Amino acid sequence: MTTPSAEGPGPEPAPPDAGPDTATATSTDAGAGAGADPDGGEAAEEHRPAPAGTTANLVVALVITAVGVAGAAGSWSLGLGSAAAPSAGTWPFLTSIAITCLGVALGALARRTDDAEALSPATWRIAAGVATMVGFVALISVIGFEIPSLLLALVWLRFLGRESWRLSIATSFGIVAAFYAIFVGALAIPIPHLL
Amino acid sequence: MESLTPMIDGFGVVLEPANLLYCLIGVVIGMLVGVLPGLGPAATIAILLPLTFSIEPVTAIIMLAGIFYGAQYGGTITSVLLRLPGEASSVVTVFDGHAMARQGRAGTALGIAAIGSFIGGTVSIVALSILAPVVAGFALDFGPPEYTALALLGILLVATVSNGGRVKAVVAACIGLLLATVGQDTFTGAERFTFGSMSLADGIDFVPVAMGVFGLGEILYNLEERAKGATAPSRVANVWPSRGDLRQSAGAIGRGSVLGFLLGILPGGGATLSSLAAYGLEKRRSKTPERFGHGAIEGVAAPETANNAASTSSFIPLLTLGIPANATMAIIFGALLIQGVTPGPQLVAEEPELFWGVVNSMYIGNILLLIMSIPLVGLFVKILRVRGTILAPITVLITLVGVYTVRNSVFDIALVIVFGLVGYLMKKYGFEPGPLVLAFVLGSLLETSLRRSLLVFDGDPTGFLTRPISGTLLVVLAVVILLPLARHLLRARRGAPDRQHEDAGT
Amino acid sequence: MAQVMGKTSARRGAVSAVAAALTLTAAACGGNLSGGGAGGEFPSGPVTLAVGQEPGGSTDLIGRALAESAADDLGVAMPVVNTPGANGALAATELARQKPDGQNLMVINASLTAITPLAVPADEAVDIADFEVVTGISQDDYVLVTASSDLDTLKKLTDTDKELKFGTTGVGTGSQLSQELLFKEAGIPGTAVPFDGGSPTLTAVLGSQVDVAAIQLGEAIEQVKAGKLTPLLTFADKRSEFLPDTPTAVEEGYDVEVSQYRAIAAPKGTPDSAVKRLRTAFESAFATDAYQKFNKDNLLKAHEVEGDKVVEEWTASLKDYRATTEKYDIDLGEEK
Repeated sequence: MTTPSAEGPGPEPAPPDAGPDTATATSTDAGAGAGADPDGGEAAEEHRPAPAGTTANLVVALVITAVGVAGAAGSWSLGLGSAAAPSAGTWPFLTSIAITCLGVALGALARRTDDAEALSPATWRIAAGVATMVGFVALISVIGFEIPSLLLALVWLRFLGRESWRLSIATSFGIVAAFYAIFVGALAIPIPHLL
Repeated sequence: MESLTPMIDGFGVVLEPANLLYCLIGVVIGMLVGVLPGLGPAATIAILLPLTFSIEPVTAIIMLAGIFYGAQYGGTITSVLLRLPGEASSVVTVFDGHAMARQGRAGTALGIAAIGSFIGGTVSIVALSILAPVVAGFALDFGPPEYTALALLGILLVATVSNGGRVKAVVAACIGLLLATVGQDTFTGAERFTFGSMSLADGIDFVPVAMGVFGLGEILYNLEERAKGATAPSRVANVWPSRGDLRQSAGAIGRGSVLGFLLGILPGGGATLSSLAAYGLEKRRSKTPERFGHGAIEGVAAPETANNAASTSSFIPLLTLGIPANATMAIIFGALLIQGVTPGPQLVAEEPELFWGVVNSMYIGNILLLIMSIPLVGLFVKILRVRGTILAPITVLITLVGVYTVRNSVFDIALVIVFGLVGYLMKKYGFEPGPLVLAFVLGSLLETSLRRSLLVFDGDPTGFLTRPISGTLLVVLAVVILLPLARHLLRARRGAPDRQHEDAGT
Repeated sequence: MAQVMGKTSARRGAVSAVAAALTLTAAACGGNLSGGGAGGEFPSGPVTLAVGQEPGGSTDLIGRALAESAADDLGVAMPVVNTPGANGALAATELARQKPDGQNLMVINASLTAITPLAVPADEAVDIADFEVVTGISQDDYVLVTASSDLDTLKKLTDTDKELKFGTTGVGTGSQLSQELLFKEAGIPGTAVPFDGGSPTLTAVLGSQVDVAAIQLGEAIEQVKAGKLTPLLTFADKRSEFLPDTPTAVEEGYDVEVSQYRAIAAPKGTPDSAVKRLRTAFESAFATDAYQKFNKDNLLKAHEVEGDKVVEEWTASLKDYRATTEKYDIDLGEEK
């Protein structure tokens, strides 16, 4: 199997560990080095973090292997049956074994893999984004969808998107109003709502 | 087909002003519903059922049918512009469609999708008119062994469809297969990986997985862009496909129509398989397959044509046999029942006006959709002009609310967030979402068909080869797998002496 | 100039934002979060009718057929909400969590409470006695059909020495129970091949992918009328008026009586006054011509009995089925 780096503009020596190493996270090189970007086009102009190091790749492989093992264990307890008379656990077991083997394979390839990215300081933004969504789903049954939507939109516009307060507030209200009109008004979806 | 009179009478029915109006209403609603990810045509038709009580059966079905295939047109829009596939049949369009959008060719993508959909739909209607009774019988010959073979073919195509790292694509596909097993086992009633949650008892729905992995995953990934400048909107170059584009897609459209028509007849899974099969076929036939996944126009034309052809031909089992092929057909079946019309093998004979009225209305509906697409494409493409930072929360909220509408379930909202995180991590660490989602869709079909087949064969796998259709399909499968391998081996053997020659030369 | 404009519109924006926020909180009394209004009249708003199946299925259609007329009688809207999952168990569990004020109802299937408990663990089983039943709705019979000419009479079926494959609509369904019982009692060798619901099972038996299958009458009747399927027997208590020439299993000497029933359920503790009012509303729906035609078109037998009778009947059925399956050593779900 040819190493993916052969396709990019010259391989970069992978940094020894993949921590939030801002020094190596230089923009354009990283953008091109993060190999197989499936969307093509504007890759060179995006400012992506550096390729992930061996450790990160190993962690990924470990997680996958763990998933495979967990799946295999779960399937085992469901009963394995036989090839001719499969039981509830047969198919998931086979799939889990495949995942485990592939996870091990990925571990073996960890050093040569460079189509992954390192964590960067910008990763906190992801955490914030996910937090707003979690907040949304936690609050929606209690106070309806209007307020959580408003707050989510505000956070994304103002804090994650760095838009002005005026634009953020106006757009947030606009979004909630539009959603109300479409989902509650026109379609009569029984989503929990306050108004 | 005895005489042409009923068919021509059918046109008379369609051209009545009331029916034309309801056709228009149907396709418009359908298109809008398709644009909204999550809410599917099935749920919409269920909501609109009371409306049909007060109108004629023909008119009612014309409208409901319009909603169904109109939704196919609409679903393309969010797939291309926002990377949000609302239905399983739109997933394949996302690969090249969204890539084209990022290259500033969103208009071309949407345009070719509209044209392909129109042609696919129309070809399918013509074929339906001529072949309906014949192919209906063909659908009945497809039993569990045949579905197993088809699902295997589909899984193989999933591997073809992916670019980049093979190992990671297979991992993604296997995880998709594992996710498909969550839920109550159809055969034993055992709960698999449900952790006691009743919301998981019926398994994970397609929509949270697809919208999470594709839509939310992409948005979260884009949050990591450092400079604000990187969120500048893509240039919107051209709005409509050029003549060159059309010529390039012609073959894809032709093949997609036929494939879509044939696969759509099969109850259960026809539409998704058709879009995947059409895409896979084009990629394999192409002399430059590396373009696929990066904005190849055939990669949009083929699946879009196929899924529209399939959605039209999925009416065949309903109208000629009285068997609904999917959830939407089930509701249309219900709507017919409420109107006092019982769909069955005798529908064509007993109610020719209804049958031909509905079938012929599809021609009109497709034309209306194509005409509407022309200004709408230009309008929707302007969405891309909106700054990414504004579009992001809108997309997030559409996803969160949209996923709720599938089963009226808050649990699904939690699920889509989980899959959003999964999608982000996958993209970050080099795994493609396509194989996961497609394997997820095909996985349950494969497993249940395989187990049913083994029950029917009493555990004897040679039974697959004793049946004509499944035997043929498996042979095709074997050829498709072994041929490239054989070619590779031959080339390696022939290439080795050349290489030695080269080495000696340098 | 532009800056001044900017400031004023910013202020305007802020004012409208505050106004909107106030309106939001003021209007918080409405919406669909708090259940019902403060005491007083029933119904105090729309009455939600939940259906635990996908839209388009028989249960869903029955619910929709009733909701229109019942809503007219009650004077409020009756939206039908689909919350599919576990053959209705999900909807039932959610119903049990609602306030017992009559504002939330569900169309519930007998199979969920009388058959599914035989196939799932005890903590997942739904007990009809845990609900307040408003009224029974209708009865839906199962018919055993075949497309094969080698098996087109009951005698051929019972005499066969070939191992048969019978299609069922899923685990824990009436289709599975009726066939398992019949095959055991008649001593016919057979293997169950489960499908996901009525349509795929019907398709399979039509195409002779399986030898026989038990399907709901309304789903199979058109194929029977067209001559594509032969009905062997029904599993009802009486001969069906739609298939007068087809005997019942009981008539033929087999103790297999399995039918699907549907009823309207409310959370336990719903006040009698509300239950009575709802029953009146549904009775007015039952009486409409449109609904009676609906029953006829779908081959449903009206079974509009009192709520208490429903609980009695369904509990007795469960007991009966449990005894019979134990007697014949049949296990509907696979015990690990």
